Amino acid sequence: MRVTESRAPHEGAGSQPAAVVELRAAHVAPPSPSSPPAPAPAASAQPAPALPDAERPAEHGRGGAAGDIEPQTDRLRYLDTATRRIARGMDLDETLRELRLAAVPAFADTILVYLCDPLSVGDEKSAPPVTLRLHLPEPPLKPRPDAADTERLTVPGRLAELLLAGRPVFGDTQGIGSAVAELLEPVLSGAGSLPDGRRLIVAPLRGRHRVMGTVVLLRHPDRPAFIGDDLLVASQLATHTALGIDKAVLYGREASVADALQRAMLPSSLPEPTGVRLASRYLPASETARVGGDWYDAIPLPGNRVALVVGDVMGHSMTSAAIMGQLRTTVQTLAGLDLPPDEVLHHLDEQAQRLGSEHMATCLYAIYDPVSRRLLVANAGHPPPVLLHPDGRAEVLWVPPGAPIGVGGVAFEAVEMAAPAGATLLLYTDGLVESRDRDVWTGVELLRARLHAAAHVLAAPPLEELCDEVLDILGPGTRDDDIALLAARFDGIPSHDVAYWFLDPRPQTAGRARRLTARSLHRWGLESMLESTELMVSEVVTNAVRYATRPITLRLLRTDVLRCEVGDDSQKVPRMRQAQPGDEGGRGLFLVDRLAWRWGATRLSTGKVVWFEQQIPERYREKRLVPQPDGRP
Amino acid sequence: MGSGNSVGSGNSGADQENARPDRTGQAEAFDAIGDRYDEAFPHKEGQLSAGEWLIGSLPGGARVLDLGCGTGLPTARQLADGGLDIVGVDLSGGMVELARKNVPGGVFHRLDIADARPGGTPDLGRFDAVTAFFSLLMLQRAEIPLALRSIHQLLLPGGLFVLSMVEADVDDFAIPFLGNTVRVSGYLRDDLRRVVEGADFEILEETSYSYAPAIADVPPEEQIFLRCRRRG
Repeated sequence: MRVTESRAPHEGAGSQPAAVVELRAAHVAPPSPSSPPAPAPAASAQPAPALPDAERPAEHGRGGAAGDIEPQTDRLRYLDTATRRIARGMDLDETLRELRLAAVPAFADTILVYLCDPLSVGDEKSAPPVTLRLHLPEPPLKPRPDAADTERLTVPGRLAELLLAGRPVFGDTQGIGSAVAELLEPVLSGAGSLPDGRRLIVAPLRGRHRVMGTVVLLRHPDRPAFIGDDLLVASQLATHTALGIDKAVLYGREASVADALQRAMLPSSLPEPTGVRLASRYLPASETARVGGDWYDAIPLPGNRVALVVGDVMGHSMTSAAIMGQLRTTVQTLAGLDLPPDEVLHHLDEQAQRLGSEHMATCLYAIYDPVSRRLLVANAGHPPPVLLHPDGRAEVLWVPPGAPIGVGGVAFEAVEMAAPAGATLLLYTDGLVESRDRDVWTGVELLRARLHAAAHVLAAPPLEELCDEVLDILGPGTRDDDIALLAARFDGIPSHDVAYWFLDPRPQTAGRARRLTARSLHRWGLESMLESTELMVSEVVTNAVRYATRPITLRLLRTDVLRCEVGDDSQKVPRMRQAQPGDEGGRGLFLVDRLAWRWGATRLSTGKVVWFEQQIPERYREKRLVPQPDGRP
Repeated sequence: MGSGNSVGSGNSGADQENARPDRTGQAEAFDAIGDRYDEAFPHKEGQLSAGEWLIGSLPGGARVLDLGCGTGLPTARQLADGGLDIVGVDLSGGMVELARKNVPGGVFHRLDIADARPGGTPDLGRFDAVTAFFSLLMLQRAEIPLALRSIHQLLLPGGLFVLSMVEADVDDFAIPFLGNTVRVSGYLRDDLRRVVEGADFEILEETSYSYAPAIADVPPEEQIFLRCRRRG
């Protein structure tokens, strides 16, 4: 969801340190007179204002004459512009690009940036020795296949001390000559020689707590040498650059952690429930706002129904991602209780308020029932879902919009509608339909039209292709919001594959359930599964009857598996345990565990369901057409 | 809730005459449901096929009583269109209104089906056939054998009776139904046959359907249709 505050930058050094430094020294233009001096990549970018007196101090000597006031003013003017543009950078590359544009050619002819390897992101203090890697400007030259082994230089002795001290020095400072030569060696190899000491400044990049690398500023032999005051200029440039890198590294770390956090909290795969096919997409926001709080989910419910969820925590930050994770978990828990959609949103709203009043989110919660072919939907301030009918008509579903999660005290309303076989439901977040140039409703209409057009080309477009088609409405360019998309194609389950009974809990109920099961299995031609199924039904029903006070339910469902569900109004969920004398309940589950392909027990708001599944042997499976025609038997 | 009642126990028959269960709630629920009933239960193949059987089995102008006629659709209209003389009763005044509108040729009364018996008020007379599609399940189990005996008496000798029920082993069980709550009773198939035969009907044919209502709050159901003839 787009909001004006808390726009985090995209990844800085923290997220991809390897890519930043993995470049070879040999790619750098050597600081020789024959080479063009400026490595700045952005040809169209405005260079920094000239430093017209850059050479004048050399002409006048290093005296403190009154005539120096004007050059000093020019220096300040230059620094003012240069530092402001350096501070503008939002990530590492941008910061360094601005530094280059500010420094070359106004202040130096070539600039080399070395960053500590690794570039630490914590608050730990730096200590010698310092390990550096040359950083090349963007766009990086394409690394050659043999470029994997990049230069990694350990800076020894005096130079390391000077770097840690954080003050710029000339190349001719005592005790650093050989270290500087070694630093520049890969760059200079084969071309030119080390500039003389006063045409070279080593300016440490010192952040708030630590040294992050160094800038080497070079002047050609045909240009006047640096003077003493240039050390102050270099110091200013380096300090602002270092703070920029610090900021970028921290932002980058936050963005990457939040991105990883968010991805970890989205479903790694969708369930594959019978009667509905699912597809999903998640796209992080590009460039400036990587992190969002969008999520989606699909949760199987008893009776082969499935809950379809999409939500969006407001804001773009690690907090949004963290809140998203908590809300998603809450929704899963509430869905597990098989609450109706409006109650799920009601409890989610309450939970969001407990998490903190500033956490707002939108959420749409739908339950698809493949047997009744109905859809129940409730909404908390989320954009409306779109239903693509089997006849190609695309409909924006009318669902009472509701208030966002976190507002509190507002009732939600569930609406029920037909979900015909062959129809496709599309849930999405506002990033798909809303942008700086497009309001939500224009976007929703665009989405509707695109779905209609897609169905016009192909009556029932494959789900994955349909998702891609839908994302196509975004067009090229940057996204300023993340996007979650969940598509559900309704296949339905024919009612003749389902059997359902209410049974009063009585001593003879297990026997009755067994007979009803046998009848259904005969009807379905599954006599080969009779013995095991009857045995398990009998065990599970016996358990249910022991605690039930109202009629229990027995549901049989035939797809590629035979699923049996026994529901009762007691929330006491049976556990497998070693049989104790006089203990009947737990023992039956050992039998179920041994005979069933899968089984489980789900606590519901109204009681519980114990279910088990057996795979139907291939030769007994009904050849079915997908999607099923909507007609009933 | 009489969950302990055994099938066919007519032991409360004596109370029955004095203390009729209060079904005001049921009537109100169906008043509120109205037309939505037909939307939630489309594709009534079993019911239509039973109607066809009656039309084919009875002479034109034969009198048929539809117990729990609801909106009059599809059965009362089908039978009227088939040339039969249709009388419908329903507990819900709203439903009776709808039935009168839907089937102008029929005669409809607001009446508890437990009160439909010869010489009752109104006196419905006697019939060549009676239908009770998913209506006896609105009674408590103890009332159902009595209602069957009344139906027996409402029929002329050899008269036909078509009954449909949802298969369930429950008595006076409150279930959510189209946004309302109704109380229902049911039998498993063999028990239902026993009760019907116990009321002196001969079962000519039995069919069953797995049916999924087109509504989220009503679970799928096993529907049993019995085509019967009055013995004697």
